Amino acid sequence: MNIRQVTLQGDKSPAINFSTLADIFPRYISKPVLITITKELLVTMSLLLGVSLVAFTILFMAPGDPFALLLGNDGSLAASEELKESLGISNSWAGQYFSWLGNILQGDFGTSIRSGEDVFPSVFEATLNTLYLTLAAIFITLSIGFPIGLISALRSESVMTRSLSIVAYAISALPIFWLGYIAVYVSTTYFDYFPLASGFSDDGEVQILKFLFPVLVLGIGSGMISEVVRHVRLEISRVMEEEYIRTARAKGASVWKHALKEAFILPVTELVTSKIPFFIGGAIIVEQIFNWHGMGRMAWQSAQDRDFPVILCITLVAALLVRGGSLIHKIIYIIVNPRASHE
Amino acid sequence: MRASFLHQPIELDIAQTRSIWKRADRGDLLNIAYGLIVLSTVLISYIMGTFDLLPYDPEEMDLDLMMMGPFTEGHLLGTDFMGRDMMSRLILGTQAYFLPGMLAIFISLTLGSLLGVLAGYEGGKTDKVVTYLNNLIDSFPRLVLILLVVAAFKPNIYYIMIVVGLTNAPIVAASIKNKIISLKQRNFVESAIAMGFPKHTIIFKHILWYNCRALLIIQATLGMAEAILMETSLSYLGFGVQEPTPSWGNMVQAGSNYLMQGDFWPSTAPALAILFTILGFHLLGDGLNNVLEGKK
Amino acid sequence: MSTPHLKIDNLHTYFYSKQRQAFIHSVNGVSLNVMKGETLGIVGESGSGKSVTMLSLMGLINATPGVLKGSVKLYTENGELDLLPDLHNYVDLRKDGNKITAVKKDIRGWNKRHQKVMKNIWSKEISMIFQNPKAAFNPFETIGKQITESILLHTDIKNPKEAKEKALYWLEKVKIDSPTLRYENYPYGLSGGMSQRAMVAMALASEPSLLIADEPTTGLDATIQSKIVDLLEELKESLGVTLILISHDISVISRLSDKIAVMYAGNVLEHGPADSILDKTSTQRHPYTRALLNSIPSKENVQEGGYLMSIEGEVPDTIMVPAGCRFYERCQAKDESVRIKCAEENPPLTPITEDHFSRCWKNK
Repeated sequence: MNIRQVTLQGDKSPAINFSTLADIFPRYISKPVLITITKELLVTMSLLLGVSLVAFTILFMAPGDPFALLLGNDGSLAASEELKESLGISNSWAGQYFSWLGNILQGDFGTSIRSGEDVFPSVFEATLNTLYLTLAAIFITLSIGFPIGLISALRSESVMTRSLSIVAYAISALPIFWLGYIAVYVSTTYFDYFPLASGFSDDGEVQILKFLFPVLVLGIGSGMISEVVRHVRLEISRVMEEEYIRTARAKGASVWKHALKEAFILPVTELVTSKIPFFIGGAIIVEQIFNWHGMGRMAWQSAQDRDFPVILCITLVAALLVRGGSLIHKIIYIIVNPRASHE
Repeated sequence: MRASFLHQPIELDIAQTRSIWKRADRGDLLNIAYGLIVLSTVLISYIMGTFDLLPYDPEEMDLDLMMMGPFTEGHLLGTDFMGRDMMSRLILGTQAYFLPGMLAIFISLTLGSLLGVLAGYEGGKTDKVVTYLNNLIDSFPRLVLILLVVAAFKPNIYYIMIVVGLTNAPIVAASIKNKIISLKQRNFVESAIAMGFPKHTIIFKHILWYNCRALLIIQATLGMAEAILMETSLSYLGFGVQEPTPSWGNMVQAGSNYLMQGDFWPSTAPALAILFTILGFHLLGDGLNNVLEGKK
Repeated sequence: MSTPHLKIDNLHTYFYSKQRQAFIHSVNGVSLNVMKGETLGIVGESGSGKSVTMLSLMGLINATPGVLKGSVKLYTENGELDLLPDLHNYVDLRKDGNKITAVKKDIRGWNKRHQKVMKNIWSKEISMIFQNPKAAFNPFETIGKQITESILLHTDIKNPKEAKEKALYWLEKVKIDSPTLRYENYPYGLSGGMSQRAMVAMALASEPSLLIADEPTTGLDATIQSKIVDLLEELKESLGVTLILISHDISVISRLSDKIAVMYAGNVLEHGPADSILDKTSTQRHPYTRALLNSIPSKENVQEGGYLMSIEGEVPDTIMVPAGCRFYERCQAKDESVRIKCAEENPPLTPITEDHFSRCWKNK
């Protein structure tokens, strides 16, 4: 029975929220969908908890006094003992972990050892910068990789499709740092501009250049072009063989319209969300070359400085981005695929 | 574009038991061949480096012949910005990633097989736990986790390769689990149990060795490619091998200033080495995958 | 008198097997005629080429090389339409006598040309329904939307509201239960029988003059099967569409067909009026047809304690095509007088009566 019909017909009781929501978005928000999404949220949170545990434990096992470093206090042993006493915190892993967790959940990530500033606000700002870079780069990667995958899928194997694939592979095997240097060279030689970016400036033209090179380098050099090509080719050739595509053709309907969801929306969503970790990794290097003040550069710096609070925060934020992407993917999948939520 | 003629052979071989290698796509065979060439080159380089069989002393500087491109007399691959022989340095550079890469591969294959078998063979709750662990590991971007470890323990290539192996394990586990599921679907596992084989025999001999060894080899090639990428990236970032010991990563970094002034070779030569090597391992894995595991 | 609706002449469709590095002679010289308003039943084993013949003319073949030779003509109010125009321009054949040994085909060019013609045929003139009804629908859209799409594309109705009403009308016409509910259902929510009805509705909603039904009952439960056959019978009467029905189930064929064609290994072995073909008392029938009819368990042979007749031998190999009659190996009616001819030469279709043809050396 169609759920909507049941709620509409039997809807004498006003208080149930589902019925009103179901009226507005009958197809997309239904009880099974919301239940599935809630389940996914719970899983995501448990994973993030696990991440915090692992990351904390790694730092805990580091030689040196992790407690002092975690609380941003790299002063004397006496001072850290005093702090511990006043906070009633033990030296055990459990004690420290839970107190740290408690702080985190209140938004207090401690202070940076290097700069003495609050960790979270600076990491947050840096993350935004990285997001601009990363999202633009993903767009570039998709723009290059998707057409290649599409052509490879639609045409039968030929010298051209093979060479295209190999070119995609070769570009993906290029070391991104070298590509970055080349970009700097090109920028200084041909555009007279030394791209040491630091956020955005007011000068429109310069702004574009500042943005363009890091984005291009990350988009092309992240190594994900071959992944995009491979995935797209696989999915599109699979979809083209599906029976419902044959029916669409026999109906004289637009094959692309019918294939859109499975051949475009779903693969692109899957690619964007699953490759986020790789782009973050690439961003670490690109931000270093172009002095882009993002979380990647911050991570590298904090690793050098052994700035525990910062690197811990960045790790968590990175994991949050990854899991967030995965969650978005699942949600879109559930929305697009009518079967997924009803199983 | 006209396709070429499809030919019907006049005589048909009735008992057509053509091996998969004969039937294999020519392109895949080329990829595998190239990959094997790369693999042998790496192996030979490693051996040469270990036993100091290098054409030149990698630290010997020839100040008259700085930054010479390839095919210079006496230096097949030219020299770097200090006049040191490029080829020797590149050969020595394999030391930085080869053994550590093996460690990473070993960890990813053993841990991955363990997790994959647990998830695929046992199923149910074990599967859920393994899936959680895999997702947990996947939540960390590799380089970020490595930086975390570097922050904690100071840069140590072996620790780092342990991390690389760990982060690759979920991928291995997933492909093994899928293989086991497909074996289960074909009642392979059921019949093995019905034939009275003990569990460990089924898992090690029948599943892993007979059916998964191709998968594991393919994962090993991809793992090596990954290890090279990580090691070179870390050396570039300054956390890996330090100058004057060459690593392809720090060679690119050291040559960067010269590149930005127009002297490309010192930085580009190692970059090309990285490119061709990683490409070789990828194509090897891809080609083997198509031939051994069947292309759709 | 009946006018011709579809004429298939000497159609050849081959596929290339990379594994065995040889051609699969799926359709190997098939000629069929269908008259307006008539039901042609095509019966044959799996692999006989019956589906591929129809898919070839509809341009729904993906594999290479595909359609190679032959002509298909559709007769509409606008006159005669060539469905395989200029095929010879795109195909280069090398022959050894009558056998095709090598093929060169401009596949992309041919597909483009073929689709240009078919754009006006698909669903407008000819609709096709397929074997696996649930898989044939787009799993991401509701059934109703997909039927409405057909209506909006091919009929004069352009208003979405009207189209929806028409779609509901068709759903009722195919006797689906609760049409308004089914309209909002997704394909996964329908049973086999219901989705088959829905597919019939979708195919007819565009008001074609010819319907091709490829194994419409295969894969359904036996009780549902007969209901679908009932439905097709009713629709045929009320709408007067020409129907080409493909099935390996001869009982389904016999219930609906005016004319029957029997296919085997890529050839038509016998075709003619249904009564003539199904007439058990006739002696002038192709041995294969006779064997097929005998293999149907009937009250007579079961009660008399008889054996279930099966056709000896194995399904023919469409790669190693024999020189002689395709059915030679399995033929039970081998006659010393013609046996050598049977083994060496493939018999042509010869008339037994004015409209009944058979491919056997034993015909007089």
